Amino acid sequence: MRDTLLTQITTNLAGSNVKVSSELPFNNGGEVLYMKNKKHFYLDAEQEAREEFIKCLDKNDIEQTTITLNGYLTVDAKNQPGDISNVVANILSANSAITNTIDNSAGVTTEIENDAITYTFEFNFITII
Amino acid sequence: MAVINVSAGSEAVLELYDLDANSAITGNALTAPYLQDITITNSTGVFRWQTLDSTSESAAATPATNQVSLNLVVDDAAFFGTGSNVDPGVVENGIFGISNAKTEIGFRAYFDGTDSGSKYVEGTGFISGLAPTVNPGAPVWVTPVTIEVNGDYTEAEVA
Repeated sequence: MRDTLLTQITTNLAGSNVKVSSELPFNNGGEVLYMKNKKHFYLDAEQEAREEFIKCLDKNDIEQTTITLNGYLTVDAKNQPGDISNVVANILSANSAITNTIDNSAGVTTEIENDAITYTFEFNFITII
Repeated sequence: MAVINVSAGSEAVLELYDLDANSAITGNALTAPYLQDITITNSTGVFRWQTLDSTSESAAATPATNQVSLNLVVDDAAFFGTGSNVDPGVVENGIFGISNAKTEIGFRAYFDGTDSGSKYVEGTGFISGLAPTVNPGAPVWVTPVTIEVNGDYTEAEVA
């Protein structure tokens, strides 16, 4: 799922001012990569949560799985790329590449620290097992 | 004296079988999968009347209405059957096929599993009340099922 989403984001951001990294947003020398490498989008590893959807007497319960992926992009807060609105929209719309879900959502929040603004994306994909 | 609980997952069991083959005994019955709940209703009818010489009503029993109602998550093999036009097999025609054909079937509702000594209620009847439904908020097909029982129940114990 991460690979599919990352491929779609890479396609959507082709020609923009933002590059897509396939690396996980790990810490390097005490600083996370997306803070260090501005204008690079990083997609974190999948987080999976399972919960009961329908309980059955024969214990063949129907479960739903929620897979969450977080993405990060940091740019200069004062001089953001001119296409930042399109970049954000294109990252969010990449969620349509994931199919066979019963719920598929994406959202973004921002946080400013010093002279940098970090866009934190959250993708949620829910499937039934 | 003991309560009957269904914590093990193999205790509240409903089997449907063909009347001609008596397949509940031969092992060719359809065990209803993904059973969400089951209710066995034995509703005895009552006729009441009043007389001037009594301050209380009198009553007499009339024939009972017997029903087994349940809710299932739709399983394709159980609902549509494993094959077609194999009259009157419950397994082959599935719950929908049996209902659509209005075929009388037998059923056994086990209270605490199918092991020796377990109690069950048995009878014959017709499948009714199918209403498969699905929506975006509950994206798995589920359906109510009613067995309109023909005659009395038989209460017995697994040999």
